[in-house]
This record gives sequence, C-alpha cells and structure tokens, in this order.
Amino acid sequence: MSISDGNFIDKLRSTENSRIGLYALLLAGIVFYLFPVETAVMTMFKTESAFARTLPFAPPGADGFTLDALATAWNTLRPGLVNSLLMAIPATIMSALLGSLTAYGLTTISWRGQVGVVVLIIAGIFIPYQAVLVPLSQFWFRVLPGLLEGFINTVFGLITGGNWQYPSRNGYVQLLQLSVTHAAYGIPICTLLFRSYYQSISDEMIEAARLDGASAFSIYRNIILPLSLPMFAVTLIYQFTQVYNDLLFALVLVNEPGSQVATQRLAALTGGVVQSFNTTMAGAIVAALPTLLVYIVFGEQFAKGVAGE
Amino acid sequence: MAQLTLDEVTKTFQDDDGEIIAVDEVSVDIEDGEFLCVVGPSGCGKSTTLRMIAGLEDITRGEIRLDGQIINDQPPARRNVAMVFQSYALYPHMTVRENMAFGLEESTDMPDDEINERVEKACKDMGIFELIDRKPGELSGGQQQRVALGRAIVRDPEVFLMDEPLANLDAKLKAEMRTELQELQQDLDVTTVYVTHDQTEAMTMSDRIAILNDGVLQQCATPLECYHEPNNLFVAGFIGEPSMNFFPTTLEGSTLKGEWFEYELSDETVAAVEGTTDITLGIRPEDIEFVQSDTGSNVFDSTVHVVEPRGNENTAHLQFDESMDDQFIATVGGMKQLKSGQRVKVRFPENAIHLFDTASGEAIRNRTLDEIETVESVV
Repeated sequence: MSISDGNFIDKLRSTENSRIGLYALLLAGIVFYLFPVETAVMTMFKTESAFARTLPFAPPGADGFTLDALATAWNTLRPGLVNSLLMAIPATIMSALLGSLTAYGLTTISWRGQVGVVVLIIAGIFIPYQAVLVPLSQFWFRVLPGLLEGFINTVFGLITGGNWQYPSRNGYVQLLQLSVTHAAYGIPICTLLFRSYYQSISDEMIEAARLDGASAFSIYRNIILPLSLPMFAVTLIYQFTQVYNDLLFALVLVNEPGSQVATQRLAALTGGVVQSFNTTMAGAIVAALPTLLVYIVFGEQFAKGVAGE
Repeated sequence: MAQLTLDEVTKTFQDDDGEIIAVDEVSVDIEDGEFLCVVGPSGCGKSTTLRMIAGLEDITRGEIRLDGQIINDQPPARRNVAMVFQSYALYPHMTVRENMAFGLEESTDMPDDEINERVEKACKDMGIFELIDRKPGELSGGQQQRVALGRAIVRDPEVFLMDEPLANLDAKLKAEMRTELQELQQDLDVTTVYVTHDQTEAMTMSDRIAILNDGVLQQCATPLECYHEPNNLFVAGFIGEPSMNFFPTTLEGSTLKGEWFEYELSDETVAAVEGTTDITLGIRPEDIEFVQSDTGSNVFDSTVHVVEPRGNENTAHLQFDESMDDQFIATVGGMKQLKSGQRVKVRFPENAIHLFDTASGEAIRNRTLDEIETVESVV
C-alpha cells in the first residue's frame, strides 16, 4: 500500500505544473457548466417551503423532499414531448437528407448556374423567423387549402360532392405543417454544412467512381453517403436542437391544445401568476431530456464531424 | 485489346482573358498492346489529354477513336478504360475487396461469385491477397498503389490510363514498381497510356514516348530515338539527365562561331546545314571527351567548377572562362577523378553533336549512330 502511495506521489511530483494547471482549469469549467444543472435538479426535488429555507444548490433534507413537482411537470409536458418528437424527428431527418443531397448536387456534379443557386441557399440562412411568420401562416391556412380544395374538387368532385374541407383544425395536420416548415427552414444551413464537407472530398475519387460506371445517384448512395456519416451526426444534433427548442413557429402554426409541442407546454407550465420554482425546474429538466439524449447518442460521431475527420 | 487513335485532339478552356489552348491538335496512333508514355513539364496538357481519353473532359475539337469507333461523346463508363490516379483515389470506407469489386458491380451484370473470383485472382496476382479485407487507411502507400492497380486490372479494360501513378512513392519503391508495372503490362498486353513528368520513368518503361510542351506534341518516338534523334531543342533538353548542353553560334564558312569557342565543321556537315546561319550546337554531357593534347580538331580549354560524384560516374560543371554564365556539364566514369579548379582540355566529337536552327528550334542534324553495338547472345 505504502509503495503504491509512494509511486502515486512520485508521479504527481513529476507531472508538470502546466498539466496541473490544465486540469484545474478543466475542473473549474466542469463546475461552471454543471452547477446550474445541479441547482435545477436539487430544486425540482424540494417542496415549496424547503426551497425557501435552503440554499438553491443544497440537497433537500428528508422532510423537504417531494416528487410532486416532477409529477406535475411530467403530466403537463408528456403529451407535448410526444408531439415534439413526432414533429422534430422527421423534420431533422428531412432537412439533413435534403441538405446532403442538395450539397452533393452543388459540389461534385457541375452544371450551369450552380453559383446562383448556392448564393440563394446561403441567403436563406439569414432570413429571420419573424420575417416569414405572416406569409407562412397565410400559406398554410389560406393558399395551400385553396389550392388543395380546387384540386380535389376538380379531380374528385364526384366523390366528395364538392364539399371537401381542408383539415386545418386537425392537430396532426398542424404538426405536419410545423414539421415541414422546420425541415424547409433547415435545408440552407444543412446544405452549407454538407457542402463545405463535400468540397474536401477528393475529386479523383469521384472520377474513379464515374470510370467504374457508377451513376450520379449511385455515387451518392455508395460513396458520398457512407462518407458523410460524421457530418450527419453534426447536422442531426444541431437541427434537432433547433427544431425541438423552437417556440415561435409552434405558436403560430399549432393552436389545437392536443397537438401542442413541449416548448408550448413548458410555457404554459411556467406561465402562472404564482412562480413555483420546483415545478419550473422539473419542467425544464424534463423538456431538456430528448436533446441531452441526442448529444449522448451521437456525441462521438459529432466530435469526428466537427474535427473534420 | 484495342488500338487507340487521337486525331487532332484539341482542348480549350475559357478564361477571363479569353481562350486558353491546353491541348493543341495532338495526333497519336497507339497500337494494340503498346505502352505509350506522355511526358512534359507541368501544365503542358498531358493530364488533360489523358482525361479526354478517359472521358472526364470534353473534347473541344478532333476525334478519339477506339478500334475505329469514335468515342468522343461516350460517357466514361462506356469507354471500357480503367484509370489509375496519382492519389490512388481508393474508396476509404470500403475494404480492398469492395474497392475492387465496385467497378464490376456498377458496370456489369456479372454474378457475385464471379466478381468475387476475379477480385481474388487479381489480388493474388498483385500480391495483396492477405490484405483483401482491410481498408485503405490501414495500408501503406505501396500497398494502396497495388490496390489501385488491381482495381484497374480486375475490370479487364481495353485501355489502361495511368496518371503519374508512382509519383507518391519513395525512390526505391518507385524503381521496384516501375519494373513490376512493366512486367504486368507485358503479361496483360493491354494498350496503356501513362502520364508522367519524370523522363526517367518514360525512358525506362515505354515502347514509345510522346513529348508535349504547351499543349503541342513535340515528338512521338521510341525512347532511344527521342534521346539520340530529338526533333527539336525542347525534346533534346527535356530528355536526358543531366540535360544536353546548348551553345548559340553563327555559321561563318565552315566554322561555328560561339561566344567562347570556334567549332570547325566537316564539309559533309556544312552541306547538311546549308541555308541556316543561326545555329545552336548541342552535345550530351557523356559525349564530351577529356583529352591530354590539342591533337585533333575542336579541343577547348576549360576549368572544372564543381564536381558532383555519383559513384558510377562524376558530373563535372565546366567553364570556358571564369565568368559564371558559360557553364556546361560533362560526365565521366566514376573511376576518373576530377578536382574543382583544375584546368582541362575537352573535345566535342563531331559525330556526337546536334545542330538546331536557333530561330525555329528544329533539329538540322542529329548525332550519328554508327557506334551503336549489340551485345551478342551466348549460345
């Protein structure tokens, strides 16, 4: 025991001072980032009175412990969580997939007018959400129903008897609209991310594939797609977080209570007259779970993608 | 097996300053099973020519024919050519087996077991069978090179196209692969077009060399013809290491007057150069003789400036005068020692000199090849 202790101390002594400094800095970083989370977790298990009595980051005593706040938050948020996942997962996958395809078409295949399209797509990144709110709701609630109604009445006039109604009050249709909106809004940034990645892929390799007889789509499926998995992790994490955390589009497009997403439910949970911090914190933690999960699952690939491996 | 014909093939690019001619009316007939090296300095259009044959670049004017069929507008995959790239261009996410099978899967209806059989055979031929389930990232440069070659062989193409395939290998491996590639090409007997900037590679490997400069074909001939009977100054200077020495002169009577020497020509040679007065005299370093006395014509005094010993031979940088701008190079056998600063007498034998029209660069008279001997076979 004493020998191993001695070795340990020797090792510690031989470690350079700069390394000790580095670890101290990293430790401080961890504390800095995790302290608020720890506070939130402690608060969510406290009763109202325990919250008033104790320091925010201190654990609740035996008498101050409760699961009520968590239960309230969970019950309020649960339908929202399901709706959020129903909306955010397809939106994320769609924008990553379409972004990757677009980027492929704009880098490894050459055609006239490419630069113009790239410029338009990059401009798309900088359109603020607020600027499109009115056109967006007009499109989903007036233009599209009008078009669809005209189309359906013409084509299926006999079947529907001309009485077809666009199901704008249907909650699932609203979720679909929100999902499509996010997918479309995500394409420019995903395209840009994939494009810079594809530009680093060797031209000779693509040419080798062309000489091997692969079609443009086959090159995408067999070579580009497998090679862009790290980039998919980056876009999936980024895009999922963006879509999942959005409240603005959801407020504008979803008004059926049954199809509200998690952010809307969270706003309802914390929007009361009396602030109850334990419920608020429980809500925040519950709402953050899916994004945390995504980071944990794709973390390794994400690091590769960011490092450009 | 195929005969490949380039007929006045031209490639132009549009630039801000107008049209740039990358390849200018290049015509070459490449015989079935021939190994043709295309050489030239960087930017001479050699890679562009290869890429046009592969179908990776459009042809602006002219025709490329494979066995008499015009293939100008055929997509790369339909041309039945296989290309080896400088960077090897292997698919990093696929194993060696998958890399080699990809082309057959994409371009043929061959059943899987037949593809597998061909891939394994090609791997054995290339000596990489034990690496078949590894990915390119786990292989050394030389091994990747073999996979790239194997990927071309397995397709059983009519034409091999190689774009500086040995450029990324170290010197020793390069020499090994050079021999191996040559043997492979002889065994397979596939028409091969090989692009390189390394004239040693071109000299040692090819049946014929095509030398390009500024997109224009300078000469297309066997390595020895290019070496001994260059068409012009460019070819004479490009082929051979160290390069041929050039001296600008003017012809007066039967004398070539240079800045540092006067060279006496025989009547026969004077007759051959008749009508040209501005003549560049060229002589290869190994043809310069070191002599003891002034006996015989065309012996000049010079000073040894620098000596580069190579073991098998010594390369001497010589000067007629002490000024720096008249250096020329002579090589002597490794057993002959020279010292820097030494005064020596050198002779330019008339049967070894090349004469070029200075204005056009065209060769007027090349060296005679009377001295060529053949090693007799032993029965």
